[in-house]
Amino acid sequence: MIHLYALVRGLDELPPLTGVEGAPLERRQIAGLDLVVSRTGQELTEVTNEAVMAHASVVEELTTRSRAILPVRFGRAFASEAELTAAVGTKAPALEHGLTRVRGCVEFGLRVLGHEPPRQGSATLSGAEYMRARLDEEAERHRLSEELHRPLALLSRAEARFGGASGDLLHAAYLVPEERTVAFRDRIAGLERLHPELTMVCTGPWPPYSFAETREDA
Amino acid sequence: MSIRDEQQLRYQVTLVELVDRVLNKGVVVAGDITLSVADGGLVYVGLRVLLSSVATLEEQRERALAAVGAQS
Repeated sequence: MIHLYALVRGLDELPPLTGVEGAPLERRQIAGLDLVVSRTGQELTEVTNEAVMAHASVVEELTTRSRAILPVRFGRAFASEAELTAAVGTKAPALEHGLTRVRGCVEFGLRVLGHEPPRQGSATLSGAEYMRARLDEEAERHRLSEELHRPLALLSRAEARFGGASGDLLHAAYLVPEERTVAFRDRIAGLERLHPELTMVCTGPWPPYSFAETREDA
Repeated sequence: MSIRDEQQLRYQVTLVELVDRVLNKGVVVAGDITLSVADGGLVYVGLRVLLSSVATLEEQRERALAAVGAQS
């Protein structure tokens, strides 16, 4: 099986580390694209912490050594060189487009943990008053998440917001040009000072995982 | 939230964000993801533990804030 880590541009040398199952890293050129792979014995039947960390470490090391990188999602191994070649060949234009989009950028993640304003005497409210109070709360959460998100989006080339199932006030990723990373972090620090009541966790810089997916129409 | 809880929370969120990126983001070059990561893979077990710890910390934080609010 062949495990694919990433597509890269401008990579001089492979990083000095091994990949999943301790296998050495190798390069492939397919349809003008530069790929980093390793061979694995059998198809992985289980996702292990070690395999995920190995994949993540390789992608991270490649990021610092490349001009552009499209991280590949963990979990799809190719049975043969032919299968890999066919798959990459089919998607080559979209992959090229994706590489151009993320060039010169890193990704930051932001989670603003759920913030429930204190509820006062809901027992004494009528049904209609209760509903109004809940609607006001929702509107306030929405307003606040927009207030946090908008200035960060302005500094970014692209942004992605993730579903609210987590209960987080804001869960997003930002694709930030390298020359703006200091400004981006300063902006986060400024928002934290403005909102000491919120717990904001900014992570990164990450390889641009959240901006690697290519659309068929890209 | 104490400094230690805060550091712990940041560490856990970073791990969650990492695993989420590697397994759920990134480009899919062909076909379906053949691995079934949802049913009981070690990583997801670890992830659930992490997420519940984050939720616990968050509850502690809110209780602490509520206590401060009650005093003032």
